Amino acid sequence: MIIWQFSEQAYYPAFQRPGAMRVTLPQNQCDPREAGRLLNRYLDEYMLADELGLNIMINEHHAAATCMSTSCMTTLSILARQTQKARLLALGIPLANRSNPLRVAEEIAMVDCLSGGRLEVGLVKGAPYELFMSNRQPTGFMDRFWEAHDLIVAALANEGDNFSWQGEHFHYRTVSLWPRAIQAPHPPIWMTASSASSAREHGRLGYTCATFLSGAVARQVFMGYREAYAAQFGQQPGLDRLGYLAVVACADNRAEAYKRAEAMRSYFATAARCDPQFRNPWGFNPVEANVHALLGGRGGKAIPVYDSIDDYIKAGLMFVGTPDDVYEQLAAFHEETGGFGNLLMMGQAGELNHEDTVDSLTLIAKEVAPRLKELPDVPLETRYEAVG
Amino acid sequence: MDTVHIDELDFGTLSMLDVRGTQIELLRAGSGAPLLFLHGLDGLEGAAAILAELARSFAVYAPSHPGFGGSASRDGLNRVDDLGYFYLDMMDQLGLDAPVVVGASFGGWVAAEILTKEPRRAAALVLASPFGLRTAERREQYVADIFMMSRKELGERMQVGAPGPLQDIMNLPEDRLRRAMRNDEAASHFGWTPYMCNPQLADRMHRIVCPTLIVWGAEDAIISPAYREAYARALPLAEVASIAGAGHRVHGDQAQQLAARITDFAGR
Repeated sequence: MIIWQFSEQAYYPAFQRPGAMRVTLPQNQCDPREAGRLLNRYLDEYMLADELGLNIMINEHHAAATCMSTSCMTTLSILARQTQKARLLALGIPLANRSNPLRVAEEIAMVDCLSGGRLEVGLVKGAPYELFMSNRQPTGFMDRFWEAHDLIVAALANEGDNFSWQGEHFHYRTVSLWPRAIQAPHPPIWMTASSASSAREHGRLGYTCATFLSGAVARQVFMGYREAYAAQFGQQPGLDRLGYLAVVACADNRAEAYKRAEAMRSYFATAARCDPQFRNPWGFNPVEANVHALLGGRGGKAIPVYDSIDDYIKAGLMFVGTPDDVYEQLAAFHEETGGFGNLLMMGQAGELNHEDTVDSLTLIAKEVAPRLKELPDVPLETRYEAVG
Repeated sequence: MDTVHIDELDFGTLSMLDVRGTQIELLRAGSGAPLLFLHGLDGLEGAAAILAELARSFAVYAPSHPGFGGSASRDGLNRVDDLGYFYLDMMDQLGLDAPVVVGASFGGWVAAEILTKEPRRAAALVLASPFGLRTAERREQYVADIFMMSRKELGERMQVGAPGPLQDIMNLPEDRLRRAMRNDEAASHFGWTPYMCNPQLADRMHRIVCPTLIVWGAEDAIISPAYREAYARALPLAEVASIAGAGHRVHGDQAQQLAARITDFAGR
């Protein structure tokens, strides 16, 4: 298992304000000098991750105090130059919320060049509540996603003449990437899944499949991926095809690690702070999914908010403690889920300060990462046991 | 797609109609001069009260728009402009040469699209709280954004009366819930952006030449006075009426009064 350092780069001073953290939060609540200071701090922590031999993951959100990175590629273009060895993962670029996929391909190619071929690209649908900022059409979301995907892959992989693209949703007279990407046919592609059925789709394509904070469901997600991958390619996927995202807090004693976890847990509460009408815009979810959700009394999937750090650990959303504790929790979760090769680690979250982040990252990189690298593959029999 | 039985539409016959390969549900009720009713965001069932009233004086034809209620959607029907052509096909098929055309809310926009294309296809036109013209100008919003509202707020703002069962979707049985979800999806499909309007429509409105009545709920909490004035400017020969005790869903709040207005206007 290898580790990717990740922070949502929150503007956490806004967390004290009551109400929504997304969509409707007025921008006058942001002190731009404080935002700049925090953004530079988070970049410093990413550079430290590179020095410590960890990889790097960046995301993006819009109109949110929980995440100040409004463009994966803008953030990664800085890190492409300021880091040396780390693989750089954008997870992800919200394709169905983007109006111009050719521009997405251009930015991918440019950052891959700048980084010497260290870029990995997550192509994701995009958050439903961000339709209110992109103003893209909620209906036909997936059709648009796949057309953008097809165009981006075709553009990146193109070794022949420039081509034109007249699709259902996107139209270009000429597609020509200058510069083009170093990695051929294109940088590794990641997608995200929260159910076995969406993972199967990624398995058929052979893309790396990540699941975020899904706890016990991760096992089913990975199973779905493995089945579809094996059916398509005639062999089991390597562990490097699978990733899991969780919060990790480490310290040289348990009390300090829990203190750090407490500072990070505001991530869960603030991520959920969004007025309900924005979580599921009309026309976004298929009709049957909405009917099913409403009959089940569920207004949409939200990140769970628990009472204690131990509850988060039990649910597989946080791994907390000394290096030994963190290793043991991760090794157990690895086995429970059938195994995964990428830990997408929120090594900074919520209000965790710089000094604690540096200390936690350093301990993880020096004392946990080497042992995770040696983590044995989960035998097939174990993987398939007790799957209901 | 099976037509579900809808108690409140019992006064008529609800059946499926194939319009050039698209199955839509059509309510037929009453007898007399033909009247085409085009429903709003609340679907065909949301117009039950006004349809029952109109069926006393007219042969009412009331379809669920493609994608709404129990009507299928079809690739290529992406704009209300497309619905205009769709309904001209349906009118040809049903032999509706020049019925009275009534459109409520979203359906008023549909009616305007039909008649800007073939102005002679209505004996009279009644637009109740119609959308369709530009709903905003840069930072100025003339029509409240229903997609930004909570269901509770929307339920309260659509009419002056208490929100009906359609606004309280959590308590609907499964088949009705499915229809409500289809209505929402179709409203988003046709009305998300540009918001509830066709920017070309204002330039085409002069083509509407039949006698036209525009009716507003005096207490419409969705459509602002500035927008109502824009409609009056776009149809300078139209008669304009305001009904007291009615919100955006005039057809829900004051069904009898609206039906009387329509009957009176169409009978002149």
